[in-house]
Amino acid sequence: MNRAANVVSPTKVKRRKVASLDAKKARGGWFFVLPFVIGFVVLYLPMLISSVQFSFSEITVDRHVGYTLSFVGFENYSNALLSDAAFVRTLTESLKQLVFDVPAIVIFSLFMAIVLNQKMIGRAVFRAIFFIPVILTTGLIDQIDQSNAAMSYMSSGGIDTGVNSGSGDLINAMDVTSLLGDMAIGTELIEYVVTIVNDIYNIVNRSGVQMLIFLSGLQSISPSIYESCKMDGASGWETFWKITFPMISPMILVNAVYTVIDSFTSESNEVMRYITNVYNTGNVRPRELSSAMSWIYFVIVLLLIGLVALIASAFVFYQRRD
Amino acid sequence: MNNTQSKVTKLSKKEMKVDFEGKLSFWQRLKLRVLSPAFVGKLIYAIFRTVLLIGISYIILYPFLTKILASFMSNSDFVDSTVKLIPKNPTLDQWKFIILENKYFLALFNTARISVVCALFQTLMCAIVGYGFAKFKFKGRTILFLCVVITMLIPHDTLLLAMFMKFRYFDVFGILGLLGFERSALPNFINTEIPLYLLSLTGLAFKNGLYIFIFRQFYKGVPDELEEAAYIDGTGIFKTFFRIILPLSIPMMTTVFMFAFSWQWTDTFYTAAPFFTTNGIHLLPSIIEVPESLKIGNAASTLWESAIANTGGLLVILPLFIIFLFAQRSLVEGIERSGIVG
Repeated sequence: MNRAANVVSPTKVKRRKVASLDAKKARGGWFFVLPFVIGFVVLYLPMLISSVQFSFSEITVDRHVGYTLSFVGFENYSNALLSDAAFVRTLTESLKQLVFDVPAIVIFSLFMAIVLNQKMIGRAVFRAIFFIPVILTTGLIDQIDQSNAAMSYMSSGGIDTGVNSGSGDLINAMDVTSLLGDMAIGTELIEYVVTIVNDIYNIVNRSGVQMLIFLSGLQSISPSIYESCKMDGASGWETFWKITFPMISPMILVNAVYTVIDSFTSESNEVMRYITNVYNTGNVRPRELSSAMSWIYFVIVLLLIGLVALIASAFVFYQRRD
Repeated sequence: MNNTQSKVTKLSKKEMKVDFEGKLSFWQRLKLRVLSPAFVGKLIYAIFRTVLLIGISYIILYPFLTKILASFMSNSDFVDSTVKLIPKNPTLDQWKFIILENKYFLALFNTARISVVCALFQTLMCAIVGYGFAKFKFKGRTILFLCVVITMLIPHDTLLLAMFMKFRYFDVFGILGLLGFERSALPNFINTEIPLYLLSLTGLAFKNGLYIFIFRQFYKGVPDELEEAAYIDGTGIFKTFFRIILPLSIPMMTTVFMFAFSWQWTDTFYTAAPFFTTNGIHLLPSIIEVPESLKIGNAASTLWESAIANTGGLLVILPLFIIFLFAQRSLVEGIERSGIVG
């Protein structure tokens, strides 16, 4: 393009209407996003459409013709919701788990990001350790860890049951109840805290990227704001709630949404594993049924993300930039 | 303290020492500093923080420790209930037979090739697309970015069947079908690396929506004046991008490359059935199985088999871990400088 522009003689340029820089840039923008547009239109959109199609039809695979579809209406959906015994239960349980996990992961990663952002000895080492799960505990390793008899054997008290027994738990609800009982905190909250503490390995593993996002958010807060706060005599507690929290709140929204997406697309997701299981071992039209199931799940999670975004955006404070 | 006056001593050309409390002895100064409530509070906080960080580091590292120790255990150690962490009969059998019988090095080579090529494609393409979204105003930009978000939102499992059908009977809008190709004669990309490369080249592979988003935020933080200066000097849009913007974003690209590489490395979605069946390319996920020589049939076999799976997992992440050791600094710093914040 450049070379062509150079070759054109000056007189010719004068006669023709020269495109403005904005118009040129707009065209350039299309060229930059072109790879994605091609991929989206040629590969992704057809896949999306045919996936929806599959969920409404019956596939007959033929070695010579490929496959043929016959429309069956909402049959697959009603099969998923009404006939399949475990699907609805798995779905509700996993959604409940998600609702519990999101605040835990967001709060934990914010807390750890603030700690890791402070100057101290060995900060680089701690940071490196904290980001190990992002790189290493993904995909394949995650899958191995799902049913890890050897590990639960080695961490537990020696009773080989093959599953995680209560003896390996860090804390026990009873102990905490006696500790917090006098403080008149509801039992639900105590249960919640206990579940989180026992699930800490899982939570640490899943909050790596969130921690990175919070860290980058913390670094973007100008130190002069903290300085003037200190001059005015604000305590650390006040500084956190009046400065750090509002400034980081857009990141909280991003992280809440990211956590929902991440846990919903991850390999260890209960519902996804159930759907894959149906795909591989189901009896009646397993592939179509699994398509229908994943679309049901997707719509529910989309609603959940909308809800999270709605709730979080009520608290978000955007710093006005000129 | 009344007679406090500052005393300045010059040590060298660049350094000097300012002694504000010239009258106080070293011990008095130490007392003033250490016995203040602020210092004690800080100390308690520092201890609390260190304990917490060490505790969480332990939680992260402990599974790796048990995996490493279990990988040296022999079968009899799993039957012996007195053995917890330290093996009584240490052996290298697990490592040896997985490497030899499951063709570890072949899998390593294949996965390394696929991961490097895919990660390179993904990094470059996401940088280009992200730049397009960040710096240009064109019609349909919002809708297109919504499409990126959609690709991020829809899990690939949802598209599993459609994706398989797409690559089993590859066609573009049914054009080949219209040209008279039978469905069974359409190109079959199953058991090849082509689907992976196609998806990487178009920014549709695993988590590419996230990378596009990261690059978009990064390029939004690059001042427009930089490009304007280049345009005024007569550089075209593409030349400006490849000569000025791309070198500028190398830290960010390193970070994204690390993500793309390691997530592709441990990926089990595209590298397992239905895309790669047993007669396809030998990749790392297929080394996670019990080698013939290690098969046993007694009561402890569950433990033993899962220990072997763990050793296989260690073999998978060992190269990644070595890379991580060298790259973690730039990884963390790249993300911090990225200004994901916007």
